[in-house]
Amino acid sequence: MITFWRTIQIISLILFLTLLALAVSSVITPTPLDLFLLLDPALMAFTVISARIFSVAFIPALLVLIVTLFFGRIFCGYICPMGTTLDGTDKLFAASRKKQPEAGKLRLLKYIILFFLLGASILGVSFVFVAAPLSLITRFYGLLVHPVLAFLSNEILSFIHPLAEWLDMDTVIFMQIATPRFATQLFILAFFGALFVSAIVSPRFWCRNFCPSGALMAFFSKKPLIRRGVSDDCTDCGRCTNSCPMSAIMTEDPRVTLHEECIVCRTCENTCPENAILFDRVRKEQVFEKKRFSFTRRQFIYSGLFGAATATVGLTGLNSLYGKPGPGQVAPQGLIRPPGALPEMDFLAQCSRCGECMAACPTNTLQPIWLDAGFMGLFSPGLNLRRSYCSPECRMCGEVCPTDAIRSLSKNERIWAKIGTAVIFRRKCLAWEQQKSCMVCDEVCPYKAVEFRKEPGIPVPVPQVHEEKCAGCGYCEHFCPVQNQSAIVITPMGALRMSEGSYIAQGKSQGLNLSINPKFEYGSKPEGKDWGKGFAPGFED
Amino acid sequence: MNRREFLRYQAKGVLWMIAGGSGILLPKRLIAAPVPDIAVVKGAPAAATRAAVDLLGGMKQFVKPGDRVVIKPNMSFPTPPERASNTHPEVVRELVIMCKEAGASKILVLDHTLARKELCLERSGIRKACNPISKKMVFALNDDRFFKATDIPEGKSMTSTDIMKEVLKSNVLIAAPVAKSHSATGVSLSMKGMMGLNYDRRVMHGKYDLHTSIVDLCTILKADLTVIDGTRVLSTNGPGGPGKVLKRDTVIASTDMVAADAYAVYIFEWYGKRFKPRQVRHIREAHKRGLGRMDVENLNVKTIDL
Repeated sequence: MITFWRTIQIISLILFLTLLALAVSSVITPTPLDLFLLLDPALMAFTVISARIFSVAFIPALLVLIVTLFFGRIFCGYICPMGTTLDGTDKLFAASRKKQPEAGKLRLLKYIILFFLLGASILGVSFVFVAAPLSLITRFYGLLVHPVLAFLSNEILSFIHPLAEWLDMDTVIFMQIATPRFATQLFILAFFGALFVSAIVSPRFWCRNFCPSGALMAFFSKKPLIRRGVSDDCTDCGRCTNSCPMSAIMTEDPRVTLHEECIVCRTCENTCPENAILFDRVRKEQVFEKKRFSFTRRQFIYSGLFGAATATVGLTGLNSLYGKPGPGQVAPQGLIRPPGALPEMDFLAQCSRCGECMAACPTNTLQPIWLDAGFMGLFSPGLNLRRSYCSPECRMCGEVCPTDAIRSLSKNERIWAKIGTAVIFRRKCLAWEQQKSCMVCDEVCPYKAVEFRKEPGIPVPVPQVHEEKCAGCGYCEHFCPVQNQSAIVITPMGALRMSEGSYIAQGKSQGLNLSINPKFEYGSKPEGKDWGKGFAPGFED
Repeated sequence: MNRREFLRYQAKGVLWMIAGGSGILLPKRLIAAPVPDIAVVKGAPAAATRAAVDLLGGMKQFVKPGDRVVIKPNMSFPTPPERASNTHPEVVRELVIMCKEAGASKILVLDHTLARKELCLERSGIRKACNPISKKMVFALNDDRFFKATDIPEGKSMTSTDIMKEVLKSNVLIAAPVAKSHSATGVSLSMKGMMGLNYDRRVMHGKYDLHTSIVDLCTILKADLTVIDGTRVLSTNGPGGPGKVLKRDTVIASTDMVAADAYAVYIFEWYGKRFKPRQVRHIREAHKRGLGRMDVENLNVKTIDL
């Protein structure tokens, strides 16, 4: 029987996946595509603290906490796509569970994680990405499941191609499904593999023991207004205890509920043969005499200090950009951040590494990076322009970013959000070094920043970059026909990283001249000044 | 007149009679009105396109009922028609209509775009122009599954490449490029445009010589009909532009890709100067290798003004 609980869970998961699919398809809707990420209490709370910001974007997560005060951890039970996914995969491993899971001491681990994150975020370092459930699950679906499904769909399309041709089904014949590829998949695979297998120990192993959002909400659901109550009809049969996926019902006395662990799935209510369980406003409640597993103040402090210490180590790493920009700062050399990314330190503090921007990137240039920016930059988005270019007309990453680590820009501002500058390696360049006709970089440059010029001793036109016109979009690097490393490479040089203000104003003040629609001549007279530089490239004498 | 001269005289007479007589057996139109090698029509895009093809005997000369036709325009840039980086949508549409009139069973307008395909199809205006005829006609096929490894028997440097399957399946290939300059190859016309029908174009720049491999490619992608859209000519800064666009209201058609390209080089200004077809290396090489003729001065060119 499909219970009310399951129904809501499934609807919720479908909504989450739909919003993700819309983001992947570059469809912008009135519903924020990052809605579920905005609801994650730990993700949002620690982003607020580490980035020292507060905006309306953080209200949904606050509401979740307030709702928890009244109704308990219904977010975990009904809405969280991580929880639903784990419930789904639980079926695969439930049979292998040897003994009845208990409310063990391991569950205190989540509080340790919570205070670890708090300690780090107080120092301005965000580690939410290691444990915030929505960050993890968005990466799982966006960067692992989505590419696999797209890949399989394409294989199926290829397989049924002959049939479609025979039936003359043009829609199927000409269907093209973008097949993204992502870095750090191995981590996601191993991580989620481990989470799924952990169901052998107990259902929702992650939620019980690790989830910092669950831990945060636990503080708000010590005694929610609507909670589990047991009437005198209870016969101590213990069925509810065994059925509880969170082991929130004490084995010793099924009348006692650990409300902070309860996710209000109401499985116990349905299991009870005496109908003795009711979720309502409870007036009289049995309280367990024995001391519960509790988290001591000392443990709070130690966890926090551990987080702060780890953050300090991060801040003292070689790649840390702590302090004012100046000589001696070792910024990641080839790392290109997405257009509209905040200044690096703010960016790292604010980015939750959810991967939504990467999943939504229509050209698949946005990739999670490993350690290119030190361990503080783990899984943050960087562009791989060899993989693809960053379209100056696309603003998806800024649109979907739940924490505004990538700014949402207007069309014109986006064009000026310079992410780097092209540099030509002449020794690799076909025209410069091998004197071959090429000029692909000039051909593809939407900003017309690469131009041909005549060089004494070289019979073919050679490319030259006009830095003031280059926004670093990477068309040139992507299409350069030189094998492996391109002969024209975007470097982070000149990237505009601003937390506020106009890119256009800033760019103009720096003497930039960025336009993807430069002026052109339209006329019938061959006379005129605009004939170029006195030579016709590609023609021979 | 001695005997030898007499015999020679007689032999000549016999040859002349055979020559004259054979004319009766040949199709009538060859004698009545010789089909020009190159048709040049000045006028509005659609009308000029139709008139130019009609000068070559009409679309029915190229497309037989039931044929599968692939039209290869330029639509690789996300720019509007006035930028002249892409073929004029009305030229493409008119070709589609003419193919349909000739009884083609399937007409596809195909390219392998550089920029994002949706943007290219939309901004070029070509998809919109062809939608009233069929919504399943204009495609940017960029996935590798649409391409099939194909040998180039006459290839001098590039001896195999991946060609669009739909092109291999078709009976008729129509090249419909816009007339534009190109920073690497001088001009980008019908021959250069064939680089929109193979998959990996990087090797043509890096591994092979670009001009030679363009000719190699054209030995297997020899268009049955070439229609060059010179209604606007991107005279500088091609292929993407923006550059100087000349309004020339001209459409050039030929069954010979090389001749059509050569004539476009010859009649339009490039970077404010006049060039001879031999100054474009791939045209010169194609001529030498017998793919077509670039000696436009020796060809029969028919020009009309609408």
